[in-house]
Amino acid sequence: MLFKTLQEKDFVGREHELSSLYTRIIGAHSEKAENAVLSGPRGIGKTELLKQLFGILFWKQDGIAPFYYAVNPALLSAEAFSRSYLIAFLCHRLAFETKDQSLLYFDGMSLDGVSALVEDRGADWAREILEQYRQCSRDPYSALRVALTAPNRSAQTTRIPVAVLIDDFHLTKGLHIDGASDPRLASLFEEPMSFRKTPHVITGNTAEVQEMPVASGLKRISVEPLGPAGVSSNILTLFHAYDAKGNVPPLLLRHLGGNPFYVRCVVRSACAKDKPVEKDFWNAYIQEIMEGTLSRYWSAALKRAIPDLGLRRAALATAHKIYHTREPLSCQRIATSFSLTDNQAEAIAQALYLAGYVRGEFGVFRAMEDAVLRDIIDCFYSVEILAKPSHDLEREFLERLLPMREDAVHYDITLPMNKEAELVAAQCLEQIGKNLDIDQDIIGQLKIAVIEGCINAIEHSKGAENKIYVSVASERDRLEISIESSGQEFIVQETGEPFGDRGISKAPGRGWGLKLMKRYADDVRFEKTLRGVKTVLIKNLRKTADVKKEDKAGHE
Amino acid sequence: MSNFSLSSKSAQNVAVMLPKGYINDMGAVSLERTSEQLLGAGMSTLIVNFSDVQFINSFGVSIFSGMVQKTLEHNSVLYFTNMKKVHRDVFEMMGLIKHVKVFADEEEALKFLKRKRKYVE
Repeated sequence: MLFKTLQEKDFVGREHELSSLYTRIIGAHSEKAENAVLSGPRGIGKTELLKQLFGILFWKQDGIAPFYYAVNPALLSAEAFSRSYLIAFLCHRLAFETKDQSLLYFDGMSLDGVSALVEDRGADWAREILEQYRQCSRDPYSALRVALTAPNRSAQTTRIPVAVLIDDFHLTKGLHIDGASDPRLASLFEEPMSFRKTPHVITGNTAEVQEMPVASGLKRISVEPLGPAGVSSNILTLFHAYDAKGNVPPLLLRHLGGNPFYVRCVVRSACAKDKPVEKDFWNAYIQEIMEGTLSRYWSAALKRAIPDLGLRRAALATAHKIYHTREPLSCQRIATSFSLTDNQAEAIAQALYLAGYVRGEFGVFRAMEDAVLRDIIDCFYSVEILAKPSHDLEREFLERLLPMREDAVHYDITLPMNKEAELVAAQCLEQIGKNLDIDQDIIGQLKIAVIEGCINAIEHSKGAENKIYVSVASERDRLEISIESSGQEFIVQETGEPFGDRGISKAPGRGWGLKLMKRYADDVRFEKTLRGVKTVLIKNLRKTADVKKEDKAGHE
Repeated sequence: MSNFSLSSKSAQNVAVMLPKGYINDMGAVSLERTSEQLLGAGMSTLIVNFSDVQFINSFGVSIFSGMVQKTLEHNSVLYFTNMKKVHRDVFEMMGLIKHVKVFADEEEALKFLKRKRKYVE
């Protein structure tokens, strides 16, 4: 794969999105393809999804030629952009014909270089496009139009549709002629997007792309945070890459909110140690939000959106207020709170919105649902506005996060795979339930689920380790029981659920285990782990308590 | 050592089985075998008293379906007593409760049986 991207096997948790995009593109054969814009918060994995889509289209089919282009902020003059776009397209298109990966490295290739390549290949359709481009190269507007419609021209001539995948599309707002930005230039994409043989999938800064007229009519595909199984597989990949082993605290994982970029930064930082323990992961997180990649990433986003230092200070104070006020804030309220003019308040709120710091909804602004961003804003605010020394800040964050940790109680039980070992787990759970004062009815139900989980682990374990690892974690109103064993994967990728061994499934009572687990736990997940496979049972204790209360009130 | 044991008692064509511990596949097979013997000996009513059952699993519960079937074949009846709420729920979920009468305890089952016999006689 040419681009710096994950291997296909390591790109997990996005199978549904990838397959849906692929299907959308494949529709170009019958002119049913639709343009789309991938939307989602920063770091959620839109770029990686686009690159993986390119990889699949490039390697796994022959009917639609993929073209990937990441807009370069240094090449935004219409002249430079059109040249770079056209060279990239011709290289990708010719590379696709022969599956010649080396051609994808078009960096530094000149127009003359591409011409030579085209002659070499005897690609008449490409020669015509190049000729047309050269004829109008003195008029940047026309040259840009030729470059943007080149995929369609090739599709018309060769009868092979082209999937145009553009990353950082929002940067095309900055396209200019002689230094003067011209919004009409980005609007030139409307023409190639109207062709049925050249479906476009674009992505970039979601807020900025959404505000662009050219993207307004496109189908929006939301890229959601990774689910627990996706996060877990991502972490495994990272551990392999850094030759480390460890267990990321579940509470920290939830704090990272399924954002693959956040997960990657924290795990990478913690993997400075060979065998990071819980404390190392928390320290890595604090370092990341104070001065690591995460901090620099969000700082850069703010600087890009608000270059003026004075205004940026006010923006930081505004963001802090938005994140610490329950109700959404209007521009008027921001102006009053910080003694700003209405115009200043509006400019700040708009810039924060475009930088991905806040959500904008019908004239008011509210915090993103992002605990990490919240911590980073608090950190910036404390350093830049309150001028707190960094060691005080580190202590404050630790104090803030530690109570969350102290609320958590964690038990680890290692069981040999002996006859009826599942009973030991069930009996331990009973005692843990008593210690934590959990309703005995709930514990009774969970015992059934744990017994079934352990039996499943024993049945499917084919590894060298004849052990089952059971962990019970209680955090606030949530009880999480995980049952892990070595051995083969027993999860069907499409459904995320285990498949039954043929022999076993014929045995009486088989197939009921999963049903019982699902009945007595609020959520049942199956994850691949370093050891093998883990079944996770989650019980929401507050919900159960509320139901019990309602039951009681109903009886009264 | 097994986590399952079974004792039984009988009088006037009524047999009471008292499983104890963990009803898994082995335990349930043992119960099924004992019930067959009791039915063969002419018992018209089988009562399974769950008061000492601590744990059950899906293997174990499923084997009860065989016991239900055998009881029907012998024109006998099967009663369950002293079931924990969660155990009853598992049996219900696996569709076995509809073929069995469940009583709070053995005494209640016997009282019901007495009334039934009186009515029949």
